[in-house]
Amino acid sequence: MHAIIFPNVYVALRLPSDTLKVLQIVPNTTISIGKYGTFQANHILGRPYHLTFEILDETDDSVRSGLRIVPAAELYADITEGELKTSAGIDDGKVIDGKDGVEYEVVTENGEVVMRTNCQTVDDPASQVMSQEEIEALKREGTGSGKDLIAKILESHSALDQKTAFALAKYTLRKAKKYMRRFTVLPVDVPLLTHWIMTEKEPMKIMELREEMLALVGSWSNVHFGGSNGVYSREDGTGQVGGGRWLIVDETGGLVVAAMAEKMGILYPPESDQPSELIQTVHEEFEDGDTDIANGAAEDHSSGKNQSAQSNRPKPTRQSLSMSAPTNTLTVIHANSQPNLSLLKYFLFDSTNPSSSHPLNSHLKTVSWLQLLSPSDDAGYAEPEVVPDDILKSYKSGKRGNYYRKRRRWERIKSVVDESRAGGYDGLIVASFMDPFTILHHAVPLLRGGAQVVVYSPNVEPLAELADCYSTSRRTAFLNNPLEVPNEDFPLNPTLLLAPTIQTARCRNWQVLPGRTHPLMTGRGGAEGYIFTATRVLPAEGKVEARGRFKRRKAGDIGKGYEASSKQDPVNSITGQTEAI
Amino acid sequence: MAETQAFRPSPFLDPGPVAEADSLAVLHLRRDLQIPTLLREQDEQQEGYDEGKVTNTRFGSFPHSTLIGVPWGSQVRASAVDTGSRGRRGNGKASKGEKRKRDGDGLEEEAGAKRIKKEVKANENSTVTPDRPGMTPTPKAAVTASTGFIHILPPTPESWTTSLPHRTQVVYTPDYSYILHRLRARPGSVLIEAGAGSGSFTHAAARAVFNGYPSSPNATPSPRAPQQPSLGRVHSFEFHAQRHSHLLTELSMHGLSPLVHLHHRDVCASGFQPPSQPPLNATAIFLDLPAPWLALKHLTRSSPPNSKPHPPSPQPTTPSTTSPPEAEFRSPLNPHSAIHLCSFSPCIEQVQRTISTLRHLGWHSISTDEISAKRLETRRERIGLQEEGLRGVNPSAATVDEAVTRLREVEGRTKGFYADDGAAGVTGGGATGPAAGAMSGLSKQQRLEKIREGLAERKVWKEGRLVCRAELELKTHTSYLVFAVLPMEWTEEDEERARERWGMKKAAREREGGVEGAVMVEVEADVKGESDVKMEGNVKVEADVKME
Repeated sequence: MHAIIFPNVYVALRLPSDTLKVLQIVPNTTISIGKYGTFQANHILGRPYHLTFEILDETDDSVRSGLRIVPAAELYADITEGELKTSAGIDDGKVIDGKDGVEYEVVTENGEVVMRTNCQTVDDPASQVMSQEEIEALKREGTGSGKDLIAKILESHSALDQKTAFALAKYTLRKAKKYMRRFTVLPVDVPLLTHWIMTEKEPMKIMELREEMLALVGSWSNVHFGGSNGVYSREDGTGQVGGGRWLIVDETGGLVVAAMAEKMGILYPPESDQPSELIQTVHEEFEDGDTDIANGAAEDHSSGKNQSAQSNRPKPTRQSLSMSAPTNTLTVIHANSQPNLSLLKYFLFDSTNPSSSHPLNSHLKTVSWLQLLSPSDDAGYAEPEVVPDDILKSYKSGKRGNYYRKRRRWERIKSVVDESRAGGYDGLIVASFMDPFTILHHAVPLLRGGAQVVVYSPNVEPLAELADCYSTSRRTAFLNNPLEVPNEDFPLNPTLLLAPTIQTARCRNWQVLPGRTHPLMTGRGGAEGYIFTATRVLPAEGKVEARGRFKRRKAGDIGKGYEASSKQDPVNSITGQTEAI
Repeated sequence: MAETQAFRPSPFLDPGPVAEADSLAVLHLRRDLQIPTLLREQDEQQEGYDEGKVTNTRFGSFPHSTLIGVPWGSQVRASAVDTGSRGRRGNGKASKGEKRKRDGDGLEEEAGAKRIKKEVKANENSTVTPDRPGMTPTPKAAVTASTGFIHILPPTPESWTTSLPHRTQVVYTPDYSYILHRLRARPGSVLIEAGAGSGSFTHAAARAVFNGYPSSPNATPSPRAPQQPSLGRVHSFEFHAQRHSHLLTELSMHGLSPLVHLHHRDVCASGFQPPSQPPLNATAIFLDLPAPWLALKHLTRSSPPNSKPHPPSPQPTTPSTTSPPEAEFRSPLNPHSAIHLCSFSPCIEQVQRTISTLRHLGWHSISTDEISAKRLETRRERIGLQEEGLRGVNPSAATVDEAVTRLREVEGRTKGFYADDGAAGVTGGGATGPAAGAMSGLSKQQRLEKIREGLAERKVWKEGRLVCRAELELKTHTSYLVFAVLPMEWTEEDEERARERWGMKKAAREREGGVEGAVMVEVEADVKGESDVKMEGNVKVEADVKME
């Protein structure tokens, strides 16, 4: 997975400024990364991910010019130098307290150690004597990928010797970020995509879903590969129970779908294990049909595996496979006539025109709320007219094809709608701006017992209200007087979910450098992000009384009277057991 | 035991529709009180219950016969089990022993976690067939008790994490979810975990990498045929013998032994790759070790550098003294993949040494994170005079108006008291007690009585203000998470080959005179980089060492 860079995939370039650029690597194109320069796509194709490349200065020698892989030792040269200096300082014993890497100056008269500070530093823009024009001119001359230029800039800083070690490091780094002509190629996967959208694109589009929250959603929803799960029919034979099938309501443009699909192993077209499949995908998109090169690149790391994988898999037609998988599936319930899964394009999946070799084609099912709740109102669910064979034969091929297409579309919609209405799903994941009450009201009954429910919200208030619906006192009141839900008092059946919990997580990033270790000083504000988790349970028929009252009540507490006064009332007797359910 | 039976999927991964015998089930009592139990049809421990195997909880006794075969997630009523007289069996005394029950419950529950262990041991020892004639009487049908219930849930790594027997510090859900996310642990990944500890991370990792069982699931994990598609696998290392054996039993009880290969090995001293086994081919590594930098030298592509890998280390002699001569070094890493690593250390000093070593060993994209997580509780905050005498509420005035009304009333009563000297009669401390408007003229006792009576009519669950607050005990620091990536090895020859392939293509294109060769992919100008540079105080110093 994500070993080497294949043609036409999306990759992310991390630039010296720490920004990410996500783009598709189309062979035989030139890629420009703004002020850092340009390079040929072919110079990174077939190379491994995670390497850092340096854009070499243009020379006449066309073979030499291009990119250079920067070895790790060079990347960390500054840092390791600093470490050596620091440890040398300890060994000498001359510098006291040098362990933290701070640079000191020894004052000789009384042996006192004084740290160099910025006390004497004068802020003066004129300290840098080199003008922007001169820098530009230098850049045009060729700069040794920025290294020489940075060295020159440092040289021409008149007050460089006044800087403390830290200030100098910061100054050098700032210049490096600006002029170093390097970039690192990273694979576009769910963590990277989330990070990129959160930091550089539009966080609102993904409901400000931070990586750590997305990870938490993934764990609590218990989503995992379900391809080997058994297909169990329900006792009454009306549907399936389990089978590694999850329901999703996703308004993050497909990010949550992608994250769950990643956990189920259906997000990426097979790559390193069966490179031939990817080559096939590439092949479809390769306009000129020249796949020798693509195959060649793959062979480097998969000698011989191609043939076997290819022959084992008959190539099925697109229509027969679409949304057909019985297990290991995600079913997206969407509010518009088409689901918005636009982010899946980064994984080479287009939901409006799915490629047959992509695993999402058969494992991702979509159903609209209308189809789910009232299929008879949906035109797609109505069976198209059946035309007898003899009449069909008289059709022109175009019309016949059209007829079959309609029939297949209907069959697909019917099977997905019927399956989703039958329920028995292994879990529900919600990241939606819609009222969670209404979603859960319809979706929770579709879950099997023991299924996990996870609702993400950027703000805590909707989830607090949701949790309050399942509060102990409301649940007991409901048990006492079960009414048809939803009603004013009980928007949801409070007995269907167990252990409702709201939680949040936040990741703090640290800078770890010799003598300069601390948390990063800025982070992202905005929505905190919370998840609501609970487990679907099957309440027992009839009244169930709880027992046990382990929280000691104060003797003489007046509340005791209140309990005594309504002894018959399970509302009270139940409090002991369900206190913290 | 999993080995002796026909293959069954792990209940963690595919629990099936109903709870089955010999499967792990979680008895959910309360949110923080869950008892993992191995469901048994027979009571191997001969605890003497008429109903066969019974799990006792503070909410009642649950014979396993009432749990086996019910759909997962079901609410199960407690049964009236005679817990008192079984010790005195044979005396003919069959008293109910209800009074002793409560004490017993508490003990049993505390021992909940230990109990499983015991059960496992018992199971190991008993090589008996389920039907031992004469020894095990047919269990009596359970009689439903009038009160008490639990929910029976299929186990998940999350519920196991909250209920597992602690042996070491546990990696909790917020941490392990983020770690697995950053490690790119996906179906088909091969993950190394060093320092298995209590096994919390092990279970979550097994779920993350699972993409099918090996073809011979009953056998212990064996070298796979090379042409099979790669199956997800966790290689877990634990050097503590007792923890190792406990985890081994747990994994087999949980049906995870085909997926988790548990090694009893000190990775710092002897490395990860077992000498006589095929290469581990790991793609992700999780280190939960006291000195992770000592293990890092074994996680290299080629023979570990004998020159001391971490100059700032005060004990540069530690490597190579314990490890055998590295004549035939075999890398545990997958040669055709980038390797993602996470090291989990509570102290910043450990982090610094680890990162220093990682830099020397050529790891990329090193970053350090810390996860802080909290659970929130929601409650209805009820304030007002109508709450007087009730529990968990604030009986002070809810509004200024309410306060004024009360003050006026007290004022009036005082006036009346002085006007009609001593005629107040049944005041009973009324001068000090507050009263809502309708309550004027009542004694405190009457007032409280009235409030209590009124309570039955009220819908207190939707009264008051809904508030949200953090749970009382917060985990403010668990550990620092150091992440790093080791790119695939890329030699000069590889580069030459790639250059030839992709360069040739380009040259050919250009010769054909196609214009396509000149297509330019413009990436928007890097405006953000410019503005970054100006933020002096917040410059992130690690240029390459940031998030991926």
